[in-house]
Amino acid sequence: MSAQVAIVGAGPSGCFLAQALLKARPDLTVDLIDRLPVPYGLVRYGVAADHQGTKAVTRQFTRLFERQGAHFFGNVAVGEAVTLDELRAAYDAVVLAAGLPEDRVLGVPGDSLPGVHGAGRLTRALYEHPDADDLPALGRRPLIIGNGNVAIDLLRLLAKTPDELEGSDLGPGPTAWLSGSGIEEITITGRSPAGQAKFDTVMIKELAKLAGVSIRVNDAGMSGDPDEAKKLEALATIDGHGNGPRRITFRFGLTPLAVEGSGRAEAVRFSGAEGEEVLTCTSVLTAIGFGPAADLPRDSLLTAAHDAEAGVLAPGLYATGWFRRGPRGTIPDNRAEAQALADRILSDLPDAGDKRGSSVFAGLNSVTDYDGWCCIDAAETASPPPGRCRVKIPTREEMLRLAREKEPN
Amino acid sequence: MDITVLFGTETGNAEMLAEDIAAELEAAHEVEVINLSGFDPADFDRGRFYLMVCSTYGDGELPASAKPFAERMEAGKPDLAGIHFAVFGMGDSEYAETFNFGPKTLAELMHAHGATQVGERVAHDASGPDMAEDLALPWAEEVVGLADQTLGQAA
Repeated sequence: MSAQVAIVGAGPSGCFLAQALLKARPDLTVDLIDRLPVPYGLVRYGVAADHQGTKAVTRQFTRLFERQGAHFFGNVAVGEAVTLDELRAAYDAVVLAAGLPEDRVLGVPGDSLPGVHGAGRLTRALYEHPDADDLPALGRRPLIIGNGNVAIDLLRLLAKTPDELEGSDLGPGPTAWLSGSGIEEITITGRSPAGQAKFDTVMIKELAKLAGVSIRVNDAGMSGDPDEAKKLEALATIDGHGNGPRRITFRFGLTPLAVEGSGRAEAVRFSGAEGEEVLTCTSVLTAIGFGPAADLPRDSLLTAAHDAEAGVLAPGLYATGWFRRGPRGTIPDNRAEAQALADRILSDLPDAGDKRGSSVFAGLNSVTDYDGWCCIDAAETASPPPGRCRVKIPTREEMLRLAREKEPN
Repeated sequence: MDITVLFGTETGNAEMLAEDIAAELEAAHEVEVINLSGFDPADFDRGRFYLMVCSTYGDGELPASAKPFAERMEAGKPDLAGIHFAVFGMGDSEYAETFNFGPKTLAELMHAHGATQVGERVAHDASGPDMAEDLALPWAEEVVGLADQTLGQAA
């Protein structure tokens, strides 16, 4: 029997890893396990609804399941329905590619006041993740803390007019929420100087296409460093852009000290180059990174790892993607890391195995497979509303019902 | 005809398309697929036809796997006179300002070293309605047909 590999998390890291493993060793059994009934992780629930081109990698993953022979086991929570030890006993190798779903918190007084929202929670709601909260009211003047690509995605979506969401897969509920948001002004603050901001310049330049905004960039400063100069140049191209009603202001060099307000977030106190400064707002959106869920003991696994840099946690146990590296890097970075880890796993794997593999899931209820996902996918793309390429099934119950029908097309 | 499909990729989409093109041409031709990251410009062979599939990444840059090739071209300055190539680009018109800059850069690099382009540079748009292979496979048939005449005459 062939050696068997279980990958926990069917997002881009896990899928690229499976792709690389099966390309080198088509005889392997590679099972992708996800806590959601549907695959593709952050490609589906993290890549912005208006970045459909970025989601085109799912065509590679379709091939992974349809031609390369990978198997999908959805709606299986490792650490709950199956323990990590049970999984390790059932497979020759287990790879944790579960990502980092929790929002990092500010860690300052007032950071849990009502009206403070993490970008992960908010984007999950926007992109209709089945475990998402309801979309909150943000008021007329939300303030975004953080300036990585997640923060810029959030800014762009909040700033867009309904017309600018044509061709996206933003659902009817979130679409109505955005068009009725009443947002007049968005301030986005970063702790570092502008030249060291974490966004990619292409994300900034994209903002110059927005029709309904007027953009100001404050305190950008100067830099002789070529990489920093590129960021400043990108910011210069959008400074002064547009004369639309929604005002967008970029601020830099501001370290949050406290979220203030009586009973809810009404202002953020920062320390900056010129001392303390208070910016008033109607809500605070934090986009300052992500951390692990509680279901897998990530910290202790990484601390005890044989070779954390190479993704080797213990014999037969590996980690890749954000779960290993932290919440940095884009889809291609995760692809490169997954390909490197695949080489390592292939050199460790036995030529053949006698593990029980996916029969470890046999007793579980409502496990979805790739055919089930095809049914869900078909239902989502059969007749999307005008201006949308897909309408996501927002609830786990409905996903499971569709997956049980098992007859795509 | 002997054909080499060279690909420059960042996310793997161009690699997948290169494999699709090769699979389509294999029935009638000898085809190999090589990642630009591992291709030495000294290996260009006048007896072969080169199909180049390349994406764009970041702010209009070459994708990661094409960068080492570009560096080797700049460093080695190979004479590519008599080398025939065609370029298929993969881009995303969401980023209109730099749409398909990667394949454009690659074609210019080939021209600068004396190579001859066959047919038009065609671009797929990831934000458009078409599947990449629906554009790329007819393009490949067409440029291979053109190259067949050209290389046939040269032989």
